[in-house]
Amino acid sequence: MRTRQGPSARTLVDELVKQKVSNVVGIPDNSSAALFRVLEADSKIEVLTVTREGEAFAVASGLWLGGRAPVVLIQNTGLLESGDSLRGTAVRMGIPLLCLVTYRGYAKLPSQESDEIMTRADVDSVAVVTEPTLDAWRVPYELYRSDADIGRVQQAFHQASELARPVALLLTEALC
Amino acid sequence: MTKQEFLGALARARTDEVVITSMGVVRPWGRLSDSVLDFASADSAMGHTADLALGVAMAQPLRRVVCLNGDGSMLMSLGTLVTIIESGVDNLILFVIANKTYEITGNQRVPGARAVDFEGLARAAGFASAHHFDQASAYESALEDILRDEGPTFVSVAVAPESEGPISRSASEPARYLQTSLYDGSRRFREALTDKGVV
Repeated sequence: MRTRQGPSARTLVDELVKQKVSNVVGIPDNSSAALFRVLEADSKIEVLTVTREGEAFAVASGLWLGGRAPVVLIQNTGLLESGDSLRGTAVRMGIPLLCLVTYRGYAKLPSQESDEIMTRADVDSVAVVTEPTLDAWRVPYELYRSDADIGRVQQAFHQASELARPVALLLTEALC
Repeated sequence: MTKQEFLGALARARTDEVVITSMGVVRPWGRLSDSVLDFASADSAMGHTADLALGVAMAQPLRRVVCLNGDGSMLMSLGTLVTIIESGVDNLILFVIANKTYEITGNQRVPGARAVDFEGLARAAGFASAHHFDQASAYESALEDILRDEGPTFVSVAVAPESEGPISRSASEPARYLQTSLYDGSRRFREALTDKGVV
């Protein structure tokens, strides 16, 4: 029986290197564990693990102010925690920052809205509010589902640069 | 010690350090200094000045970065003390100006004002160099070494609460670094940091 394979962490890191990313700042989760492993083995990109996701946006913003090209790598739960930090640093400062956000609960997102959607045991509520939150924060985003989406990384950097603001890629599958 | 004694001594001792300010010292520092290497973490994210300064220090390892944080702001992101050590930077000097109040919003008492030992917190997080001063003379005597020694360095400074009001970013502000938007100020600061080739 074939097991489902997620996108390649190596392919994504190679693309980050190609885009001249200098630093990755964030907190790992199950879906990004392979990505952190490859990043930490790759001396071209400096990795800093922070204590809370809001810190990641402030540190990344400081890195950009100092001339670096950082990326933030967190889970969508941590994205919600980061609200005022993201707004008050990267968004308010107009920083072209790529945010790689693992999309916990994406596979179980219900197709229909309901009054109980936030309390249903079969629904991960963080997935329900992830995209509406990004919309509210004026952060453009795209889904990154497989290696076939690798071109979206370059597009996201281009969009962030054109708009002078953070742009998110939502990683719907665990990387491997 | 008064805020003026604290900032005045720093302005006299400062040479080419980057200085990042927050909350109650943003405007007073802007009255003392008009350097392109000053950055006001104002109109930004509450409690995220020390981590912003950490990013600058990581990006600019050949410069000394001075962060002037408030005690209320530091309490909002205590984990940053750990992250600073984790990062391995040796060029960050983090001051916590402890007036025990949220001065900007009317001097409400910060939690733990009677008990928190910031120097102890910093040491427990891994800072080998951590200091506390409540007398201006002792602080001023130690300042030159603090600015020159290998970091990261943590300094808590007890100052008397004053009455600095809310900060705006507008032409009516006396400090030049508050006369532009955070967006424009960020670009001006980035240009100052990177145009000299020290990246």
